[in-house]
Amino acid sequence: MERIMPKLFFALSLTALILMLAAIWQASAPAWKKYQQEFYRMEAQGEPNAAAKSAVSTAPLTIRQVLLPGLQRVDRCGTCHLGVEDPTMKSAPHPFAFHPNLAPHVPSKFGCTICHGGQGLATDKENAHGQVAFWQEPLLPKDYIRASCGRCHKEGDVPGVPELAEGRRLFETHGCRGCHKLNGIGGSIGPDLTEEGAKRRYPQWLEHHFLEPNAVSAGSAMPDFHFTREQARALTFYMLSLTSEQMGSYYSSVRVIPSATYGRRLFVEKNCIVCHSIGGVGAKGGPDLLGVAKQHSAGWLDEQLVNPELVYPGSTMPAYDMETNARKALIVFLASATADDARSILSGRPRALNAKDAAIEAGRQSFARFGCVGCHGLELQGGVPNPNSQGGEVPSLLHASQDYTKEEVIGIIRNGKVPPLADPKKPASPLYMPSWKNVLTEEDINRIADYLWSLQPKTESW
Amino acid sequence: MNPLRDAWQSIVRRDPLSTDKGKSELVFLNVWLHIHPAKVRKEHFKLKHTWYLGFITFFLFLILVTTGVALMFYYRPQSPQAYQDMKDLRFVVFLGPFLRNMHRWSAHGMVICVFLHMCRVFYTGSYKKPRQFNWVVGVGLFLLTLGLSFTGYLLPWDQLAFWAITVGTNIGSYAPLVGSRLRELMLGGHGVGESALLRFYVLHVAVLPSLMVLLTMVHFWRVRKDGGLSRPLWKLKPESSAPLVTIGEAANPELAITLVPAARDKTYGLMEVVTGKPLFETVTEEEEEDTVFSYPFAFFREAIALLATVTTVMAVSLFWNAPLEELANPAKTPNPAKAPWYFLGLQELVSHSALLGGVVVPGLAVLVLLAIPYLDSNPSRRPAERKWAIWAFTAFVVVNVVLIVIGTLFRGPGWALVPPWVHVPGVE
Amino acid sequence: MSQQEKNNAMNRRSFLSWGGAGLAALWAAIGVSLGAVVRFLSPSVYYEPPLDFKIGPPGDFAFGPPTFLADEKIFVFRDREKGFAVASAVCTHLGCTVGYFQSDASFHCPCHGSVFRGDGSVQHGPAPRPLEWFEVTLARDGQLKVDKDHVVPGSYRLMV
Repeated sequence: MERIMPKLFFALSLTALILMLAAIWQASAPAWKKYQQEFYRMEAQGEPNAAAKSAVSTAPLTIRQVLLPGLQRVDRCGTCHLGVEDPTMKSAPHPFAFHPNLAPHVPSKFGCTICHGGQGLATDKENAHGQVAFWQEPLLPKDYIRASCGRCHKEGDVPGVPELAEGRRLFETHGCRGCHKLNGIGGSIGPDLTEEGAKRRYPQWLEHHFLEPNAVSAGSAMPDFHFTREQARALTFYMLSLTSEQMGSYYSSVRVIPSATYGRRLFVEKNCIVCHSIGGVGAKGGPDLLGVAKQHSAGWLDEQLVNPELVYPGSTMPAYDMETNARKALIVFLASATADDARSILSGRPRALNAKDAAIEAGRQSFARFGCVGCHGLELQGGVPNPNSQGGEVPSLLHASQDYTKEEVIGIIRNGKVPPLADPKKPASPLYMPSWKNVLTEEDINRIADYLWSLQPKTESW
Repeated sequence: MNPLRDAWQSIVRRDPLSTDKGKSELVFLNVWLHIHPAKVRKEHFKLKHTWYLGFITFFLFLILVTTGVALMFYYRPQSPQAYQDMKDLRFVVFLGPFLRNMHRWSAHGMVICVFLHMCRVFYTGSYKKPRQFNWVVGVGLFLLTLGLSFTGYLLPWDQLAFWAITVGTNIGSYAPLVGSRLRELMLGGHGVGESALLRFYVLHVAVLPSLMVLLTMVHFWRVRKDGGLSRPLWKLKPESSAPLVTIGEAANPELAITLVPAARDKTYGLMEVVTGKPLFETVTEEEEEDTVFSYPFAFFREAIALLATVTTVMAVSLFWNAPLEELANPAKTPNPAKAPWYFLGLQELVSHSALLGGVVVPGLAVLVLLAIPYLDSNPSRRPAERKWAIWAFTAFVVVNVVLIVIGTLFRGPGWALVPPWVHVPGVE
Repeated sequence: MSQQEKNNAMNRRSFLSWGGAGLAALWAAIGVSLGAVVRFLSPSVYYEPPLDFKIGPPGDFAFGPPTFLADEKIFVFRDREKGFAVASAVCTHLGCTVGYFQSDASFHCPCHGSVFRGDGSVQHGPAPRPLEWFEVTLARDGQLKVDKDHVVPGSYRLMV
């Protein structure tokens, strides 16, 4: 034992030294250094003289990061993606290629991961691209990157991404809220979708789910809506935009895109046509707005929207509380608005209704808005499969007035109803009528009942 | 006359190590080393008797303190920065992954080694009179080790950490009367959150390490005062029957039952005198051969144990990364949610009965563990004469290991029994 | 006993040679570790605004009096003949931000009254050194890039 002690001591000391050197070597040779060396070598070739060449090729190798406290992110993608802002790198191989159309989303203010996904904190390829376990935001495939526009630009129509508006429209009209909550409103049969874009950034899964719900979610009660590929994609884009981004003041202030489409929407929302006309079409309460952007400067128009009394003392135009970019959008719209626009806006307005019809219309709108069509069908035809319920499917409501009294229907809407089982020994049906008394007011419920009664007036019993 | 030599000798005041006096002075004039006796008996350092487990556990603790302090330079105990700092350690800090791995694997190693050390002390009967209370101190150190591992487990602030501590503190809350109050004190709230992270951090870097150091000092001191490291007395050759003079409190007449006469243990209050004729006839000729200077005999072995520990931890840390899952999410419980592995036996028991399994059985186990030296009236350390004790303790160890294995490998979603070779679809 | 002594003698020799070599390796390992500790503590990334940054295309900057960029604390000079130059707006005395006065084409510090001439040199006041000038280059995307890590002499100009 004695004799090997010194040798053992030496062996272990040497091993400790070697392992320490190995650890240092492991820490000193990360992959990103090789990428940077390759890039600088490439750049050096493009330099005119030897001095410039050596200056570039001996540039220090450092991790490059963009700090984005307003977005609560740190992006280190620029450590390897070195040619992103360099137009001469258009045809360079990845990861050095130039990124076209960056403005106004420059990397120094936006980083990369807010649009592309991935793990900004990482400094090796696999982890940075986020396609690893325990990272919920992998790199988005090329076709879906535009969906990220919706993460910040939530209310406006985003130019170049019609899928977002289409997805939102499909969501609201196909009754998704009947089963899914979004921003607090909706049913509880399916999962809450408010943060779906944050929880599930896997576009292929989402798209497949819209096309074949049961194939990806075994046992799901979600009916097959027979969406087309384009519709499924639009809905996927919309889902991917459902995140709650932390946005500092700078980002909140530039979030709204001042586009003419958004401006038109504001014009309709604020009911400007009630006082103004465009090219003679509209009301006579205020001045005609045709060509107003040529007669007045943008600053003047902006001030008019903020503080009408300042510009025209005694004006009866209300001071609308609009964000800077919203006002810009309105002005952009007015710059190109014509009498045809005014005509189409007027025709889109609902006609005057009497009290009874107004109530029925309100009921119809509630019926669509709260997602009843999701289960009872766009034409109220029912037909969505509901295993082990009597009848095997969600009932049609076309004959509600025949089968029930109004009080019964109001009671069902208010308190909900679990469908009677076809076979009591088998498990309960997945779909049921939820209770709406905590979501809808009594008035709302009455109006929905009125709407249902308006579909098929009760025939006189003979 | 030489000023350089004078300066040197003002710092190193002992004789050269080539002399016996120098070898002794190295020990008793040095603040770091003077817990050792100047001379030791070789029996105290038999590898196959102690396996140096106590040393290894202590060395792992030293590694943990060093790497822990290094990690503190880059870690903030706040949500969500803690998780970002873990990512930075992994991707950006030089030697970050290596140091974090060393810290994690040393921690697991220390829990295992402290348990093995406890087993060794039991199997060699080294807790018997006069060492009973040191066993109690040792159990205290064992519980502190678990506490340090548990408080450190939360700090990465990922899903693994968050839910392991949620489960762990919930198990603790089953203790009667004090359970829920204790849980609230530990968490600084009703659930795991910002306050819990800060409190666990303070416990982990300041409070528990200080207690650990204090108890370790007591533990080492008592080992020395109780006669030095454990030795396999029942295996040694019979000593001569020459009359002996004992000095100090070292007389242990009980040990005369075995083949070993009264031991002369190194507990002298006086410094050992090594030059010239010995003042007392304290050792026989045979014993003289077995007694060597601590330097280099003992220190060599300790150094080798230290190096072996350090190189093993380094090698493991080079190749295996400590886990880091997604950011802690209170709204999303993984299924199954498991406590750290050393508490999985407990979680398994709790799954059968919260009160019995979570409180009564473990509580009794700890109490019995603490009381072992006082319950055991058998003065013999020979395995052949303690069969019942050995079987009982072995059963205890086996049950613990089996429970932990079941909890780790055989429990799947919903705590259902799922063998590890079966893959459950849909489990993340 | 002599056999024992022979064994001991072996041990002593081997102790000195292997032990000494082991000790040398150990000291080397400790030295390497200390170096590694220093490198470990040196930050690889900074949680601060970057030292090199883009300030926009040349066309954004007026001729004549310099443009002051508050966030970056720099003055951007643009001269028709000579081109661009970027000066630090941080007083070299104790770090306050200086202001440029067109009336006397010089920089005045509000804190302790230091005055710097148009070329950055100290005219009077407690400032010990002239204002720093930073390297400004033209990046490949056509924007001006300032690098605070590279201090250049006051005569440096970028002709665009």
